[in-house]
Amino acid sequence: MTEQAPRIPHSTQHPLAGEQMSGAEMVVQVLADEGVDTVFGYSGGAILPTYDAVFRYNERQRGDTGGAPMNLVVPANEQGAGFMAAGYARSTGRVGVFLVTSGPGATNTVTPIRDCMADSVPVVAITGQVARGAMGTDAFQEAPIVNIMGNCAKHVFLVTNPEDVEATMRTAFEVARSGRPGPVVVDLPKDVQNWVGEFHGEGLLDVRGYRQRMESLRQAKLSERKCRQFFDLLGQSSRPLLYVGGGVVSGDAGDDLTAFAKAYGIPVVTTVMGLGAIDTTDDLCLHMLGMHGTAYANYAVEDCDFIIAVGARFDDRVAAKAELFAPMAEHVAHIDIDAAEIGKVKLVDWAHVGDAGRSLRQLVEFGRSEGFRRDFTPWLEHVRGLRGSYPMNFDRETPLIQPQEVLERLNTLTRGEAVIATGVGQHQMFAAQYLDFHRPRQWLTSGSMGTMGFGLPAAIGAQFANPDALVIDVDGDGSIRMNLGEMETVTTYGLPVKVLLLNNSCDGMVRQWQRLYFEDRFSGSDKSLHRKDFIKAAESDGFEFARRVTDKAELGEALKAFVGFEGPAFLEVVIDPDAGVYPMVGPGMSYREMVTGDHIPSRDYGDSRDGPERLAPSEAF
Amino acid sequence: MRHIISILVVNEFGALGRIAGLFTARGYNIESLTVAPTDDATLSRMTLVTIGDDQIIEQIIKQLNKLLDVVKVLDITEAEHIEREMMLVKVQAATNDAREEFKRLTDIFRGRVLDVTEKTYTIELTGTSSKLDAFLEVIGRKTPVEVVRSGVIGIARGDRQMRI
Repeated sequence: MTEQAPRIPHSTQHPLAGEQMSGAEMVVQVLADEGVDTVFGYSGGAILPTYDAVFRYNERQRGDTGGAPMNLVVPANEQGAGFMAAGYARSTGRVGVFLVTSGPGATNTVTPIRDCMADSVPVVAITGQVARGAMGTDAFQEAPIVNIMGNCAKHVFLVTNPEDVEATMRTAFEVARSGRPGPVVVDLPKDVQNWVGEFHGEGLLDVRGYRQRMESLRQAKLSERKCRQFFDLLGQSSRPLLYVGGGVVSGDAGDDLTAFAKAYGIPVVTTVMGLGAIDTTDDLCLHMLGMHGTAYANYAVEDCDFIIAVGARFDDRVAAKAELFAPMAEHVAHIDIDAAEIGKVKLVDWAHVGDAGRSLRQLVEFGRSEGFRRDFTPWLEHVRGLRGSYPMNFDRETPLIQPQEVLERLNTLTRGEAVIATGVGQHQMFAAQYLDFHRPRQWLTSGSMGTMGFGLPAAIGAQFANPDALVIDVDGDGSIRMNLGEMETVTTYGLPVKVLLLNNSCDGMVRQWQRLYFEDRFSGSDKSLHRKDFIKAAESDGFEFARRVTDKAELGEALKAFVGFEGPAFLEVVIDPDAGVYPMVGPGMSYREMVTGDHIPSRDYGDSRDGPERLAPSEAF
Repeated sequence: MRHIISILVVNEFGALGRIAGLFTARGYNIESLTVAPTDDATLSRMTLVTIGDDQIIEQIIKQLNKLLDVVKVLDITEAEHIEREMMLVKVQAATNDAREEFKRLTDIFRGRVLDVTEKTYTIELTGTSSKLDAFLEVIGRKTPVEVVRSGVIGIARGDRQMRI
């Protein structure tokens, strides 16, 4: 959604307009015009012409114009390239780009494409394709990318007419960043890359229906009547709660959200994707809600009488049963840029389809002009009380290192300033619970798809986009194995990425569920016999800082040295394999049935709260 | 509830696949689907018959509206509309009785016999899907040899138009 580059105004002609170029050169020129400074990707037969065009572009840039070259970042596996582009996009709001070959190159990126779709991340993937004449013949390295990606991406373009190459590339960027952002794939046959024709330097594809809808979305303003209705609801409420999702982050509406919350003193809970939308250390922020949300956030959801959802979608990790979610809420308001999210899960009383920031600004303005006043102080005192009574906590006595302690200490060192990427599982939830984020786009995690192996490549992409930032990949031993090849990418490019590995020798979240729902049968999740020496692995990939901590007493000093190290650093902390993520709202349960574990106090509702064991395994997901 | 949804789509590679894919991925059902070019050569019109409650139909329309190839979506069953489906039926008509009976039924249903051999009739019938169903039910006793249905097309009654 953020404009990536100053668009060339239509009145001035592109300096290269009218020149003869190959399709591949046009692709690279459009990338340059769009302000793309880094391309992640892996070469191969069907994309060779475009890789060559990048090479020649950079040679020219260095030679004549002295302009900025286009970084080409080569991963170990194309999936890595996809997540690097995603990390780049998530941490900046700019469109991430990756460039891979046909067949296996393209299919290796199906996971990142779907991941970007599920978390609304703008990326453009360019996949080589066999020459048009060979398509459909089961040619070498051929795969039906339009079909495969069509079900995962926001859109797939197959360039069948070479004259359309440049317009398609521009349109791909337009689509990726407009409306609800998402991944766009451009499937580029090899002969189209080799075709030579006139470069126009302007023009888009005719996607009239889509463009019309985007235009009306841009125009969408809250009417006075709608504003009034909203404030009527707010006026009737005495316990309003903002439920904020990733839409506020991807819509760059963090400041507007914070201003709205502060204008009326409304507390905020965020989804895993919404972390950082408001400074997590702000008094109004109750941190994350949901399956592994903080107890105080979830109790606030239980207690509130008005839910104001912004850029959030009531997914099953938040509202497993929509009718049990926020049971005391008399009214629900919903702002989202995607009309399909309104009423999809939870019926709402008031809804607006539009840009989050703009909508919130309009509401604040309306409230101000109408002199809206309502004192929510008693409610605010109540939620402060919840935070005081049900704080996050863990076993601080045991000699085994607790993952929560590692992250708590990391948080003290980074003071909420680091960019954090994660894998998926327990470590991801501990990181979400125990780390602070002052701003949006500091927290990069695979929220909806839950893709293990996301963390390391995402951290690499984020470090390229934010060379001066402290970028830390908080990973698990299961997750990091999935893209362990990218350890080498960190050192190849000399990136100061910090990798914090919480090693519990198992797939911890799977193990936790097996404890809860499968009578301790740790089928396929135990890794205690695995022989990987992560330190040797890191050393062999060129990490100069590679340390393992097994002793609690060493932890503080090791973390400090790790965070303070100038170059790439790898720290493995061997943690208690039985540490569980709490609180936990079991799948399909209401927040009332939240289990807070042994170290976080919980409410006594005085009824049969018999925990998650009640659910049959077949119902739990 | 049965709904007839009209969709104007750009004639692009993969458009039909994406729409079909949306229905499969989200578990929506497709009773019938027709696609053909329109007077505007760049557009095709799809008519899709589906069954679902209001919430599902709302989601279908919203999800269709997210597809790039989709120019316009309209649930034509939400107001007065006309729907038609065509069917060709081949029946065993070897005896005089059978030939008489099928001719008579075809007339009653305002159909036409398109092709005649010594042993078969091929009958054309146009109408609402339920009329075609009724015809098949009537001849059910004399099992048809072959049935082919076009799927439903529909249009709004009166001045309502599906405009871009």
